[in-house]
Parts: sequence; structure tokens; C-alpha cells
Amino acid sequence: MKIVDTKGQLCPAPLIGTRKALRESAEGDSFIVIIDNKTSLDNVKRFLRDNNTLFEVSEKEGIWEVTITKSEAELSNENVEDYCTTGIAHFEKGDFVIAVTSDKMGEGDEELGKLLMVNFIKAVKDLDKLPAKMVFYNRGVTLAVKGSETAKDLDDIEKMGVELLFCATCVNYYKLEKEIETGIQSNMFVIAEALASAGNIVRP
Amino acid sequence: MVEYGGCSSKISPKQLEEILSYLPLPDDPDILVDIDTHDDAGVYRINDELALVLTTDFFPPVCSEPYEFGEIAAANSISDVYAMGGDPVLALNIMMFPASRLPMEAYSDILRGGFDKASEAGVRIIGGHTIDDFPPKYGLAVVGYVNPSAIITNSGAHPGDNLILTKPLGTGVIMAGQRLGMTGDEDVTEAKRLMKLLNKSGADIMKKYHVKGATDITGFGLAGHAYKMAKASDVTINIHLKKVPLIGNTYNLIDEGCIPGASFRNLEFVDEHLHTEPGMDYNLKMVAFDAQTSGGLLISVPPENTEKMINDLHEAGLTSASLIGMVSEKKEKYIYLSN
Repeated sequence: MKIVDTKGQLCPAPLIGTRKALRESAEGDSFIVIIDNKTSLDNVKRFLRDNNTLFEVSEKEGIWEVTITKSEAELSNENVEDYCTTGIAHFEKGDFVIAVTSDKMGEGDEELGKLLMVNFIKAVKDLDKLPAKMVFYNRGVTLAVKGSETAKDLDDIEKMGVELLFCATCVNYYKLEKEIETGIQSNMFVIAEALASAGNIVRP
Repeated sequence: MVEYGGCSSKISPKQLEEILSYLPLPDDPDILVDIDTHDDAGVYRINDELALVLTTDFFPPVCSEPYEFGEIAAANSISDVYAMGGDPVLALNIMMFPASRLPMEAYSDILRGGFDKASEAGVRIIGGHTIDDFPPKYGLAVVGYVNPSAIITNSGAHPGDNLILTKPLGTGVIMAGQRLGMTGDEDVTEAKRLMKLLNKSGADIMKKYHVKGATDITGFGLAGHAYKMAKASDVTINIHLKKVPLIGNTYNLIDEGCIPGASFRNLEFVDEHLHTEPGMDYNLKMVAFDAQTSGGLLISVPPENTEKMINDLHEAGLTSASLIGMVSEKKEKYIYLSN
């Protein structure tokens, strides 16, 4: 098995050696990193945990051997719990922003409009490419009121890595400050910037 | 000269927070700002127009040239006064120097660097204290003036505000990379230039726009100082790391694993108050925890002044000053990091 000996090296050199060896390893390969100071050991462990990399540590007289196995998840840094709740593994984002300006989709019957919006939000999760961002203003913000069907879907979308921006003025206007826990409450500058920098804007 | 920037130079912020929690705070209505709000400096009211800003900071060398080390240490010490909206006035040298192990020339070069930087800031150094110790350490205890009604603190960030950072990040990574021979001269020169750069022009612009909330970014990193600010203001701070300006090859160095130990300490400090966007780029995340020496100002500013202020900062030579995030009502966590 390949051995990376970092004895005598101070932080961050052991971490640099570890990362280099990880890069050079094929999936499933194992290697050993030898570390002789506790700070560097802790930092390497933390790095491996953050990157979902499997490892075991053994100690002999103040020298630690960290056996590392390269796994598929090496370079990502998802919170495992967040990852599991959605059950959706593809998080590719497109160059578009969804602007949700109402709690209804399209003109016409109110009840139908609301139902369509619920379905639209649900459908966003299944898009081949997720939106870069979603912005919510005017009655659009009400879709995130906790307990509602759409709030659950928006939570999932956020966990998939989509930034949800809610117009803070609108949230305050509809007195929903305590009802919305998803996303980021933003001012008009941030919302305008999100819209202005979007490749395309999708308005349901 | 020796260099000891890396893992060893600051006590873990988590430990510090715990220790400080056991110390009784003096009860005096003239103490306007104390460690209760995790601020950069203490502020004491003399009368309704005048309060004193007091702060001190010292550390072991971050670079091998004594004169430059003196300049950087002084700029870093004085920065806390600027971050509170004050004008630095007087200072004392604090020096630890191993007289038997290093040439006395280095001693005088450090002091000269500190003196020149202090003069640039309009600060008179009127004394100091040296003890024999290895490795050397240097910094200033600084006194500044501030109008009590114009104090800028960690607790002055309001939901809806934008956040501006005035200097690029990466001094910790770059200087660690230099010690390992991984950093190019260009990046080292730029890092040193930024560390020597006084936060004076940034502070002048904060005053122009009557800013209430700001801090300077030093040893606890962007996320560490943002957390202190969020906690003191009872808000959530959202940071978009792709918008955070970086020095040269900082990102690539982190990608190669050049992550100083202080970054992990800072991460531990903020961890339980931190939400990281799923799929967050690990290297970008670690940018937020890089310990800065004499870093820039993190300024909380209402949206209507954001653009004007950024333009002013650019014109004043702070060409990297950027909008990097925003303040929202307190959510579950204090800090939200996204790509």
C-alpha cells in the first residue's frame, strides 16, 4: 500500500500530501498517511470527514497512521442528512432564474391557478437542469408559508442547491415574517441583481 | 528572521469565548462597548462628544523581513480603531524579542516599520514595553477618539443590509503556501501590500455613509467575524463565496490542500452556527475560514447606499471591494454560506 510519510512536517503540509495522494488514487484504492502531530491529524481528519472520505486511524507512541480509502464522494461536501431527504442525485444548474410573482399560475380560474402553481413547483425538482436561482415577490412569497404543500417542495429545491430569494418587503407586507423558514430574505438590490444577471427568466 | 504565522499564533476562538464567559464584566454606564458584543475594541465615554477606543493586538512574524513585519503588525493593530469608526491617535509598542538569538538590527527594523506605519495613520507612538522571548512578537496598544453617537459596532447590522468586503481574502493561505514554496512571488507581494494597507480609506467612507455595523476581518476569518457580527446583531448573515474577492492563486492553493491549521480552528468555532449550501464547493468554503492578518472591513450597509459606497471604495484604491452577501432576519443558524 502507498505510504505518505509526513513526519516532521508542520500543518498544512500533511494535508497537502493527503490531498495529493487522494487525487492520484483511483476509486477504491487505499493509502496510509503517517502523521506525528495532533493538530495536523485533527485537521486531516476534519478534511476527510467534510469530504465524506472513509478512513481509519491507529496510533503507536505518538505517531498516527491514517488509512484512507478513496471513495466516489471524495470531492463533494454535501451534508449527508440534507442529501438523503431529497433522494434526488442530479443537481446540475442551468443559466436561468425562475421569478415567482404570484401564488397562481396563469390567468383564469383562481383555484385552478393555485393548483397549477403547486404542480409547477413540484415539477421544478424534476427538471434536467435546476434553476440558478428562484426569486419570489409579491404574492409569490406566500408559497413558502410553512406547512403548505409548496413549502415542502421549496425546501427540497433549496437543499438541492438552488438559492431561493424572497422579497423581504413582500414578506413583511403580508406579515409572514414568522411563517417563512426557507430561503434568503433579500432586498430589491439583490433581487434586481439576480434577475439582471440571469441568462433567461422563467415566469410561471 | 523566523516565521511563525501558521497554526500556532492565536488561541482557539472557541476556547477564548469560553474563558471570557467566566470573567465578570465591569458595570459602568460609560463603557459603551465591551467584549460582550465580541467587538474589535473597547469604547469608553469621556463626555457626550468624545469617547476613547482602546485596542491591542500582537503576533509573531508573518514574513521574514523585520521592517515589513513591523508595518503589518502596526496596520493590523490600528485597524480595530478604524473598524469601530474611530480616529487612531496614540499607541504603545508591545514587543517580545530574543535579544540573545537575533541581531538587534532586526529589533530596530521592526520598531521602525511600526513607527512609519503608525505615522502614516497619524498615530503617535509614545512608549512601549519589551521582554525577552522567542519567537519575537510585535504589535501596538492603540487609543483612538470616536464620537459616542458615531460608534460602529458588531451589533449594528440590520436585516435587509448588504455586506461589503473591502480587501480580498487569502493572506493566511498565501503566506502558508510561501513557507512551503508553493506560492509565486507576485501573490506574496500582493498579500504583503494588502496586509500593510491601512483600513483608513475604508473607514473614512464608512463614516461618510453613517455606517452602524462593521468589523475588520482578522484571525477568525471572514466566517468567524461574520458570526460574531450576526450574533451581536441577532441576525443571520448570508455570504456568497463566489463573490468574495481572492488574492491571486488562493483558490488553487486551497485546492492543493494548503489549508492552514487556523482555518480548521475557525471552522470548529463557527460550525454549530453554520449552514452550508448542499453541493458547496469545499475550497470556497475554506476560503471563508482563512485567518487574515490585517484584513479588510466587512461593512453592513443599507441597499440604497451599496452601489455608491462600492464606487467610492474603488475610487479610493480599494479596487477589490465587493458586495459579498446580505443580512437577513435571524434564521435557524447565524451564518449561511453558498457558492
